[in-house]
Amino acid sequence: MVTPKHILGTFDEALASLRNNVLMMAGLTERSLDRAMKGLFQRDDDLCANAIADDEEIDQLEKQIDKDGVDVLMRFQPLASDLRRVVSAMKLSSNLERMADQATNIARRARKLNQHPPLPELELIAPMHAHAMSMFKDSIDAYVREDVQLGRAVVPRDEKLDELNRVASRRLIQRMAEDPDQLRGYLNLMFIARHLERVGDHATNIAEDAVYAAAAEDIRHQPFVASA
Amino acid sequence: MESAAIIDPPMITPVSSPQQQVASGSEPTAAAPERPPAFEVERLSIFYGEKKAIENVTLTIPSKMITAIIGPSGCGKSTLLRSLNRMHELVPQTRIEGKVVFAGEDIYAPHIDPVVVRRRIGMVFQKSNPFPTMSIAENVLVGLKLNGVRDRAFLRERLEQSLRMAALWDEVKNDLHKPGISLSGGQQQRLCIARAIAVEPEVLLMDEPASALDPIATAKIEELIHELSSNYTVVIVTHNMQQAGRCSDYTAFLYLGRLIEFAATTKIFTNPSERQTEDYITGRFG
Repeated sequence: MVTPKHILGTFDEALASLRNNVLMMAGLTERSLDRAMKGLFQRDDDLCANAIADDEEIDQLEKQIDKDGVDVLMRFQPLASDLRRVVSAMKLSSNLERMADQATNIARRARKLNQHPPLPELELIAPMHAHAMSMFKDSIDAYVREDVQLGRAVVPRDEKLDELNRVASRRLIQRMAEDPDQLRGYLNLMFIARHLERVGDHATNIAEDAVYAAAAEDIRHQPFVASA
Repeated sequence: MESAAIIDPPMITPVSSPQQQVASGSEPTAAAPERPPAFEVERLSIFYGEKKAIENVTLTIPSKMITAIIGPSGCGKSTLLRSLNRMHELVPQTRIEGKVVFAGEDIYAPHIDPVVVRRRIGMVFQKSNPFPTMSIAENVLVGLKLNGVRDRAFLRERLEQSLRMAALWDEVKNDLHKPGISLSGGQQQRLCIARAIAVEPEVLLMDEPASALDPIATAKIEELIHELSSNYTVVIVTHNMQQAGRCSDYTAFLYLGRLIEFAATTKIFTNPSERQTEDYITGRFG
């Protein structure tokens, strides 16, 4: 549905700027997560350093989006879908900033792991990474396209990520007992799994906010049937 | 008591029962207020000569709540408001079709006296209009005196009560003999509200009551409207969307004389059902 132009061109510009900053932040967050995970899988400290460096820019964007959001609320007092768009943009930025923090945490853990021989248990992380990133991309797509159906579909997928995290944790705890010399390594992998699980939580939040922005429907904290 | 006949005129039956909960609206969406209805507007059309100002509006206005009527200029907001106490009939060549049921009776029925209707359904206008030759006290009491109330103690009591309800007593209690027009714009508007409530109406109709006031005076009027709603049904016409959002429980959106949407104010201002409502309140109209 095409939104007609606002009588005030400056309002449309302010909304567009807010949205563009959210999209830029989402792009940077995705890049940061990608760099952190490649730094882990490819044992590349430079990529880890780049992921950590991305965080500063993402933090600044979060502050900018909050400032612009408050400015739009103050100057234009938006209503209906406009109000939802502003509120959602501010909530998205908060979730994206926390996702970027997870990327930083992963990159730091990866650098520690890279100092030691590779652990075969890294394979436990790969499916979690794929699943978390798929949830993240779909949640952003749902926001960009105002796709309620896609947003709804993201939410139950978090269950699978939680399950993958539980499986990985159990296996890593078992390995700690079997091979205490690598305890620090297994602990770092457990934390990385936990960070990816948190990425899924934030993707879920974004998907819920996308549904709210598009359809004014609050789908948070509802019991759902686990995905097939 | 002398005033009883004024306050409770026998021609209109008491307020309808709580069971009378009506979901209504013309063709467009309409909410189902949970309070008993104050007004049931049924298929109302209003004509000024050949011009149709209101077209087939059906609407249930809940009692003891605040209902806002919004819409662009010329959409029929004031006409609809004025039709609720037959004030629009003061315009020549006016004609209506349909019904406005208040307290169980059609106020347009042939046996209904419009003067009594207006006594039970008071009105406050956009521009404050105290009687220029009258003092503050005389302005408040004029309605009662015109209806023959002479009991000085009763009048004194009603004067203070009305001014207190209009949040004006503390500001004017030592100046009651001064001309009404010596007050500031915001005070004059509250004086008019005190005048309207002095005759103890059941409903207050307000036609942009704060549009000519500064933000402080506007806030006082809005606070007053909120307080009055515990005792009165309030229907307010406003151009100010934020005011409608702040003040009202229900909102009706009118366009070209037709009711486009009527729903809880929260619903209208966060997720309206009709595209025309969305476009209007977000400033994307026309």
